[in-house]
Amino acid sequence: MKVTIDGKNIEAKLGETILEAAKRVGVEIPTLCYSEAFGGQGVCRMCMVEVKEGERKRLVASCTYPITREIEVQTNTPELQEIRRNIITLLYRRAPNSDYMKKLYQEYEGISVEPVDPAEKCIMCRLCVKACEKVGAYAISAIMRGTEKRIATPFDEASPNCIGCSACADICPTGAIIVKKENGKQEIWHKTFEMSRCENCGKYFSTLPVNEHVKEQLDIEMSGENLCPNCRRKKLASDIAEVSVNR
Amino acid sequence: MNQLEVKPNHETRMILVCCGTGCLANGSAAVYEALCDALQGNDKIQVETFAKATGCNGLCEKGPLVKILPDDITYCKVKAEDVPEIVEKTLQQGELVQRLLYRDPATKKYYKSHHETDFYKKQKKVALRNIGEIDPTSVQDYLDRGGYQALEKALKEMSPAEVIEEVLKSGLRGRGGGGFPTGLKWKACAAVDNPPRYVICNGDEGDPGAFMDRSILEGDPHTVLEGMIICAYAIGASNGFIYVRDEYDLAVKNLTKAIENARECGYLGKNILGSDLSFDIELVRGGGAFVCGEETALINSIQGNVGEPWDKYVFPTERGLWGQPTVINNVETWANIPVIIKDGAANFASIGTEGSKGTKVFSLVGKVVNTGLVEVPMGTTLREIIYDIGGGIQNGRQFKAVQTGGPSGGCIPENLLDLPVDFDTLTEAGSMMGSGGMIVMDDRTCMVEVARYYVNFLAEESCGKCVPCREGISLLLETLTRICEGKGKPEDLDLLESMSSTIQQAALCALGRTAPNPVLSTLKYFRDEYLEHINNHRCPAGICKELTEFYIDAELCTGCGRCRRNCPADAISGEKKKAHTIDPAKCIKCGDCINNCKFQAVKVK
Ligand SMILES: Cc1cc2nc3c(=O)[nH]c(=O)nc-3n(C[C@H](O)[C@H](O)[C@H](O)COP(=O)(O)O)c2cc1C
Repeated sequence: MKVTIDGKNIEAKLGETILEAAKRVGVEIPTLCYSEAFGGQGVCRMCMVEVKEGERKRLVASCTYPITREIEVQTNTPELQEIRRNIITLLYRRAPNSDYMKKLYQEYEGISVEPVDPAEKCIMCRLCVKACEKVGAYAISAIMRGTEKRIATPFDEASPNCIGCSACADICPTGAIIVKKENGKQEIWHKTFEMSRCENCGKYFSTLPVNEHVKEQLDIEMSGENLCPNCRRKKLASDIAEVSVNR
Repeated sequence: MNQLEVKPNHETRMILVCCGTGCLANGSAAVYEALCDALQGNDKIQVETFAKATGCNGLCEKGPLVKILPDDITYCKVKAEDVPEIVEKTLQQGELVQRLLYRDPATKKYYKSHHETDFYKKQKKVALRNIGEIDPTSVQDYLDRGGYQALEKALKEMSPAEVIEEVLKSGLRGRGGGGFPTGLKWKACAAVDNPPRYVICNGDEGDPGAFMDRSILEGDPHTVLEGMIICAYAIGASNGFIYVRDEYDLAVKNLTKAIENARECGYLGKNILGSDLSFDIELVRGGGAFVCGEETALINSIQGNVGEPWDKYVFPTERGLWGQPTVINNVETWANIPVIIKDGAANFASIGTEGSKGTKVFSLVGKVVNTGLVEVPMGTTLREIIYDIGGGIQNGRQFKAVQTGGPSGGCIPENLLDLPVDFDTLTEAGSMMGSGGMIVMDDRTCMVEVARYYVNFLAEESCGKCVPCREGISLLLETLTRICEGKGKPEDLDLLESMSSTIQQAALCALGRTAPNPVLSTLKYFRDEYLEHINNHRCPAGICKELTEFYIDAELCTGCGRCRRNCPADAISGEKKKAHTIDPAKCIKCGDCINNCKFQAVKVK
């Protein structure tokens, strides 16, 4: 499939998205809600590009548009720049309270607007929801509609599905998800978890349900001592060394 | 004309009581019951007489309506108490009950039949052909009016490809808003070699004030079924779904009955009418959100997911319900299909304009004399709809704008009233056909406030998935509210325009992409009004309270005292027959005085 992106001729695979094809040939398209792990969501619309097919021109979200025909793509026209500036402005207005958004707002020279809530951090990119799904927990989702839309557990209560893995917080670009760690306990999404403590170094390294989850998913019996990943690696290395020395 | 010529040799007489939602709300069920009671065992009536409950006749303003056939009499605003008089005078003695006849508000003339009134004369009933004429719960009534003949014809005389060709040739475009050619949609779906295929009827009808689909589902459910079954044959589908707005209880009831009857008669189920076609239909109740009418959100909702749309770069005809090829059409689109197949594409295509064939049903509401459902050929002008059919503006006020296309449509000004209405002309004018809402506005309407009102609706109904729609509409709303409150700045207009353009181009679904229409159309046609608000802190229509001051023109005031007596704030004073004055300090700007002054003496400063 012959496609041109910003004038570069490339060979695209049937059905791959414009964003994937562009990344492969080193054309940068800005995104906020995209992660290679989950694919395109079509949520933030920062990755809009212009597609020309025959005489017809239109703007599409490059993260969800599958290439099925020969097309010409422009990724950075003045029109697209205005859209991106406006999207950043809108998100900054909603959630200005992170370095991430402040930096983008400056970088894109956003329009001056009155922030709705100066303390807000969440830009509703939904990467957290995707991460939670990927982990297999399905504990959080985007609820309500319009500007009331927000990420939450069902009924804003502790979700029985949540295992406290904090993958959601790890992937969050703006630090909007709060994880409280204190005295061997971890609190996230209205739920407090006992932490597992490394028998070797004494560090709290994961919640008990995460330990269980990992065992289940990997179908392994974690033998003997309860070790943090770091100590487990060290022990494994020394075990192997022992085996080879004894040979 | 008071004496009715009842020909004594009529074999039977039919009394049709409108039981559409509007008439039901005004007590038509009681009228129907009273009629049935009065007819039972009444030996004074010479001809055999039946009463029937029908769907909506469209003239909701005058309901409950009672029609008598074959005499063709229409009685308006009938109450149960009127029934004895109707029975005695009309049915027994053959006389008209004049006080119940339709009376033209302008000419004061009485009409025996609604068919003679201006409201009906310019209409052409295709999609609504059976509504008000049949008992929607009777399959026999539908058959008596040629129902299911199109299906027989399709199954016995036409190949699936010929059916699609016929729909293509008819020029029918989807009535749900997008205006996509229906035949092309079917053809695309049939071409995807990946069964099973599905057929969906979109009966979500989320536009506030719209009730055309409701009246079809309630008043003629079999036509929708017949349309869907014909499509199933054409594209090779196995299952169909009708997605009905959750509040539409009567529609659900009548559809459920219709589906049962259609199964009993062999129009649904295995080997329909002895053919190879097997197809069945299921009802699904809607999720209660405006956006669930958008086809991909609707599919998500049927699948039990959150009603959020997805990017339609691959059409549902290829990947729709459960990832399978799916045809989804609007209720009114379906209602046209049996007519096209039965009477032929050429017949259908003879109605309408070059690019838009057939008729369109509008729900005509707002400040117009005759509100109700109207069906007109495409290409009828706005002026004909509003003045000839609608009877002009209420209370002799001035026309200001007509808003078409539902909440995300646009406002069209007076100088475009001669616009022939079709899909393309409305879009060019900065509005849209949408599903056929038509709201007439008079001079007591502030166009900035109108834009704010619709944008507020859309802000609440945005699903919130994509940024331009969720956040962009919210910023439009904040800006418009500021202007209405007198805190607008000159640069606000640039902001509105730039953000509107971003929302139009970047939003995920058509809700967002059309949401700026109310703003852009009012900016285009009523920019002066925005500027008055911003630069002169004045709302010329006298609606935005912070920017309004009323006064009484002493030259025009006759001192009738009407405004003084009605003023809820005691802000008006004056002696009888002398010019009155308004105390601005007490005035709460409710507008009661300006709305009701017979001498146009109340003015906006
Ligand atoms: C926000 C939104 C709401 C919609 N609501 C409806 C609706 O209530 N009924 C309908 O038939 N189409 C509605 N549509 C249009 C549908 O997405 C779709 O185009 C239509 O059902 C296709 O049928 P048609 O080709 O027969 O018009 C809506 C679209 C949008 C963007």
